[in-house]
Amino acid sequence: MTRDEFLKKLHAGLAGVRQDAIDDIMSDYDAHFDAAAEEGRSEAEVAAALGDPARLARELRLEAGVRRWEEVRTPSSAVSAIVAVLGLGAIDILVLAPILLPVLGVVFGLYVATVGVFVAGGAVLIAGPFSGFPGGVAAAVLAGLGMMSAATACCALLTIVTIWLINGLVWFGRLHMRLIKPAIEQA
Amino acid sequence: MPEAIEIQLKKGVLGFCVLALLSHRDSYAYEIASRLSHAVDMGEGTIYPLMRRMQADGLVATYLEESPSGPPRKYYRLTDAGRSALAQQLAEWRAFTASVEGLISETESATGASAAAAEDNHDA
Repeated sequence: MTRDEFLKKLHAGLAGVRQDAIDDIMSDYDAHFDAAAEEGRSEAEVAAALGDPARLARELRLEAGVRRWEEVRTPSSAVSAIVAVLGLGAIDILVLAPILLPVLGVVFGLYVATVGVFVAGGAVLIAGPFSGFPGGVAAAVLAGLGMMSAATACCALLTIVTIWLINGLVWFGRLHMRLIKPAIEQA
Repeated sequence: MPEAIEIQLKKGVLGFCVLALLSHRDSYAYEIASRLSHAVDMGEGTIYPLMRRMQADGLVATYLEESPSGPPRKYYRLTDAGRSALAQQLAEWRAFTASVEGLISETESATGASAAAAEDNHDA
């Protein structure tokens, strides 16, 4: 593989990563070829020693996705971390998918349910006092407030569980990054 | 799966090796990669994900320096956090290797002694 081919494949594999990070990474590998050329090594030799550019790109993308997740805990950074881990494509992760996907589905369902309870609580709080709620106005207000606060508490608990789940997934993904190239080639 | 254990072992020790290298003097990625790939048999390209992670963790910092030939080079230096991480990992490494060494020499002398005892029995 020539220098241009290697860099092109690496660049293609990095799609979706932030532009400044891509520039950084590309200039790192560019400088690597420069330094190797000064020692008189051929482009093909250096490219072979660097390893598979597609695999390198996947690991770099995982790092970028994880970094975003560690910086900001938002639903979109969670999605990018999950996608990056699954993008590693390690066999064990594919095996994990049938277990993981139902778990994510259940968590999502629970989120929807808590939102539903919250909305229902709001309805009881507002409409209850005027529509003959059994036990009177005070009971309707208390029941509505109770449902809303229960939903909020459940949502907070769910958030903690979700963060814990994704951290576990990230840990699992990092375990499968193969930083040592010769070991992969032999395996 | 001995290969898997070896990967995990080397991976764990890689960051530690980089910290140790940089504690002697500042260096650029190509130099770090070629020294490490000789010493612990790692792929050269993997130094960059590692350096990016260490930089993001605040263990190393970078600066540009003119190179004798070609464009300026990105040098890595240890930060204070990197120095204290090195000190801690060095202590852990010393304790770990000392206890493994102790275990090995213990079992070696034990098997040596039992072999000698078996020979005595044979003679008798």
